[in-house]
Amino acid sequence: MSDAAKPKADPRAKIGARLKEFQKSEVERILSTCTQCGKCFDVCPMARYSKAPATDGRQVVPGVLAVLRGEQGSPAALGWITACMRSGVCVPACPDNVDPRMMMRLARMTALGGREQPKQLEPKEDPDYFDRIRAFGRLQLTDEELKDWT
Amino acid sequence: MSNAVTEAVTFWYGCNVLRHGDIIHGCLDILRALGFNAAPVGGPDYCCGTVKDSNQTTAGGMATRTVGRLNARERRVVAWCPSCHSHMHDFMERANERRFEITYLVELLHMNRDRLAPLLVHPVPMRVVLHQHVGFNEFVPVNRMVPELLRMIPGVEVVDHGYLAPGYMCASFAAVPAALRDIHHNTATAARAGKADAVVTTFHQCYREIIGLDAAGVVPVYNYIHLLSQSMGLSYRDEYKEWKRAGEGATELIGAERIAQVGMQFYERAMLPELKSRPKL
Repeated sequence: MSDAAKPKADPRAKIGARLKEFQKSEVERILSTCTQCGKCFDVCPMARYSKAPATDGRQVVPGVLAVLRGEQGSPAALGWITACMRSGVCVPACPDNVDPRMMMRLARMTALGGREQPKQLEPKEDPDYFDRIRAFGRLQLTDEELKDWT
Repeated sequence: MSNAVTEAVTFWYGCNVLRHGDIIHGCLDILRALGFNAAPVGGPDYCCGTVKDSNQTTAGGMATRTVGRLNARERRVVAWCPSCHSHMHDFMERANERRFEITYLVELLHMNRDRLAPLLVHPVPMRVVLHQHVGFNEFVPVNRMVPELLRMIPGVEVVDHGYLAPGYMCASFAAVPAALRDIHHNTATAARAGKADAVVTTFHQCYREIIGLDAAGVVPVYNYIHLLSQSMGLSYRDEYKEWKRAGEGATELIGAERIAQVGMQFYERAMLPELKSRPKL
């Protein structure tokens, strides 16, 4: 096939590629390190706000790892993923240095469909998010400040 | 009130603090008084991408763009937003080459507290509770540093109350309303129990939420930058607080001419509801 006949690579494919590569390596690290002891869940101050509350982290964490593998997460896992607010108390509680805060963040991105896996949670994106910020800035800063600072 | 300039820095203020021009101005004037020639950058064009969990292509593009822009400035970055700061360490710099030093503002002020102390000359007679979260302290120990900064202000008394809200800041809690209700309730309870004159927040995201307690007449609310500025003799108008307190009346306070700049339809749909909202206690 001549060069002219080759399909052109989509330049957009490069966008975010390095971030995705990093995330993939982190997912692999977490999946190979986590022993599913559940201590991260047990110390989490947000677990009680889950829509599918559970009492034993050992029953919840496997569902989180399933999400990271691109498989369907359990209701308890998805409820915990939704409630996670990055308190970070799970990090020192983990005996295996998994970094459960990172685990939950990646699980959230995955469940929301952000990592090119099927959506398991519906993103609640605010379509006005950035326009609202710009509008409040417009009311608060001078034209010159907006030009130089944003 | 100015020291000789010792260092040019980029003040990366983030996105949402554009609601609080007074806080941005306060930070800049404090930095400049300490001898930092601070050039501010922020808004959506400098977004870290943390809000794009459901689209990592976009998040990755934003991270690369913003790290590139900050690299190009070739100077230390002083971060204001805890989300931007933590996202930089967790993701942005792991996927992009960061060629600048980054310091969180609280940390910078704390490191320079010997130079800050003589500037805090005006008493601010106020007994306060600091609204604190569990998280972010693994990046910067703000729960220790901010009370230490506040206690340098003549007249300020910081009450130890023992309540730490979950999470690392308030903004994302809209997705978990029961937890947000508890945060409002527990913060108000801590203020009452401590016989506090006011609640003080560290982050603007918390200020935006907790200010609802002020608007509802429960307890006055400030950001720590407000108190430092006041003690330094710097004065700014906190229009967001005025609008929030006014609720529906914000429309008149802002005025038709300014609202026309953003569009009345957009203002009524996307801005006014936030100003009218009150915490469910």
